[in-house]
Amino acid sequence: MKNKPKIAIFDFTDCEGCEVALVSLREKLVEIATETEIVNWRLAQKKADDGPYDIVLIEGTPITQTEIDTLKFLRGQTKILVGLGSCATLAGIPGIIDKEARSGWYEKIYGKDYKPRGIDALPLSAYVLVDYSIHGCPVDKSELLRVIQELLAGKTPKNPGYSVCFECKLAGNPCRLLDKKPCLGPITAGGCGAICIKGGSPCYGCFGIRQDAQVDNLVMTLRKFSDPAKIENYFSMFLKKTPEYKKLFDNKKERNGKP
Amino acid sequence: MAKIIPEKEIPSLASELTKTHTVYAPVIKGDETVFSEINDSAEIALNYSQTPLPPKMYFLPANEELFKVVDDELQKAGGIKPFIVFLNLKDLKAVNYLDKIMQKEPADTFYLQRRSVSTLVATTESAVGSHNGSDLTLEKRNNSTYLAHSFTEKGNKILKSSLFKEAPIPEKSAQEPLPNHFDELLLDSGLLAQAVEWSRENSPSTWEALGKICLSCGICTYVCPLCFCTSTEDKTSIDGSECTRCRKWDACTLPRFAQVAGGHNFRPTQKDRYYNWFYHKFVRAYKEFGQAQCVACGRCQKYCPAGIDIEKILTRLVEDYKKAHTKKT
Repeated sequence: MKNKPKIAIFDFTDCEGCEVALVSLREKLVEIATETEIVNWRLAQKKADDGPYDIVLIEGTPITQTEIDTLKFLRGQTKILVGLGSCATLAGIPGIIDKEARSGWYEKIYGKDYKPRGIDALPLSAYVLVDYSIHGCPVDKSELLRVIQELLAGKTPKNPGYSVCFECKLAGNPCRLLDKKPCLGPITAGGCGAICIKGGSPCYGCFGIRQDAQVDNLVMTLRKFSDPAKIENYFSMFLKKTPEYKKLFDNKKERNGKP
Repeated sequence: MAKIIPEKEIPSLASELTKTHTVYAPVIKGDETVFSEINDSAEIALNYSQTPLPPKMYFLPANEELFKVVDDELQKAGGIKPFIVFLNLKDLKAVNYLDKIMQKEPADTFYLQRRSVSTLVATTESAVGSHNGSDLTLEKRNNSTYLAHSFTEKGNKILKSSLFKEAPIPEKSAQEPLPNHFDELLLDSGLLAQAVEWSRENSPSTWEALGKICLSCGICTYVCPLCFCTSTEDKTSIDGSECTRCRKWDACTLPRFAQVAGGHNFRPTQKDRYYNWFYHKFVRAYKEFGQAQCVACGRCQKYCPAGIDIEKILTRLVEDYKKAHTKKT
């Protein structure tokens, strides 16, 4: 019998919600655990074997030097490294804060003598090569299952090539943009089932920017009914550490800095 | 003598049919009319102008499992319960056209299988002449009465319902709907084809500008009753014993549609992709079937989140083409 692939699951700074999504796979998780060997998973089991591993899933944003070092070490220990959830794949919620604001807050909360441990909030891909990113805040269970199935079948998983709009239309939601309400659905990769829009919230792009998305065109549409500060706000929720965000908003900041 | 049915009995007819069929019909939901499965005593929006999702979704589902291979054995998808769709004449015309496309060799057997168990019931205010591609058409004659026209065995079966009464053909007083400008544009599919094809080289600014507006969301293709492109993927079970072939709606306005192995993309920009959508509908379709792949239902422009007015673009392209053409001669 062939050796079962060894899977390890680690987490950095985050809420652990994506690992909970993994636990919520229930019977499917049992099937995964039968077909593979989950050798290290702090949240769910005592067994905590050292590498090498076949697949490592990493949740959360590496913030401290220890986390960054661990990430680089794990890269050397695994054949496939997968980012689990928006904190790992996009810097997610921790990525909202910028470095300068962070040091200001440190001082305000902990006093002048505090030596901060946080370095920056960047996605895993800022430090190591990531083989696949399962985006989402939290990840969608069927997307998570799809990626695991494809990895176990020896395939190279791909992000959905369509936008949130596909699943949104199928769900029968009224289009937010047609109602003159902000939404990042057209530039965001699908796979989420348009769950936020169904619940009355805009899409903030937690599934990541879709391949070759028309970001500038969407900003033009948003400007018809929303002011630039508000638009930036929507983009900053999950996409603040993306090149697209930098291109759209960082130049403007420099200009604002020099009145 | 003819078969007639009072307007107020049509919902009863639909709910009677649910005993033997799954019934889909336009119903009002919030601010929209949408296609939905009918249960008892549903109100049917007989005079809908357009729904966000077109009836194609019942013959070409947005997500479909085609077949499975389980432990090296082929398992075809399960049988489909016979179903009935209530629809207007434009949507009927689109289904008829889609039938033609899907019947062309190599035929799409999955689509045709669903069509073979389906019955089309059209409702209209226009006068009905010869066979219009429906199984049964209910023609509004006056405020309260519809006249039944059955064209097939399936239609005859529905007519057996006691809700239909034998009566002389009622006097026609229902207003015949007038064709709108979009309908008129489609009357000359040949001219549209020439104008769109001509515009690629001769009106590049049109496509440049549209490439900067289109959000590449795919909505125009999802809501189109005639867009039929899909992509196919295999899903493998965790233990590797089961492989399912799945297909879902794709959109030529999306970047991966024309991307091939190795990464090359035949339509690398949004401008190229957006033009292709027009090209397929108005040029290629005309060359292949002699008719634009459009029934002027207006969905693509109503639901475009960027507000692109397709009718306006076509009108201008035709005008520009005509102008250029008269100058030359």
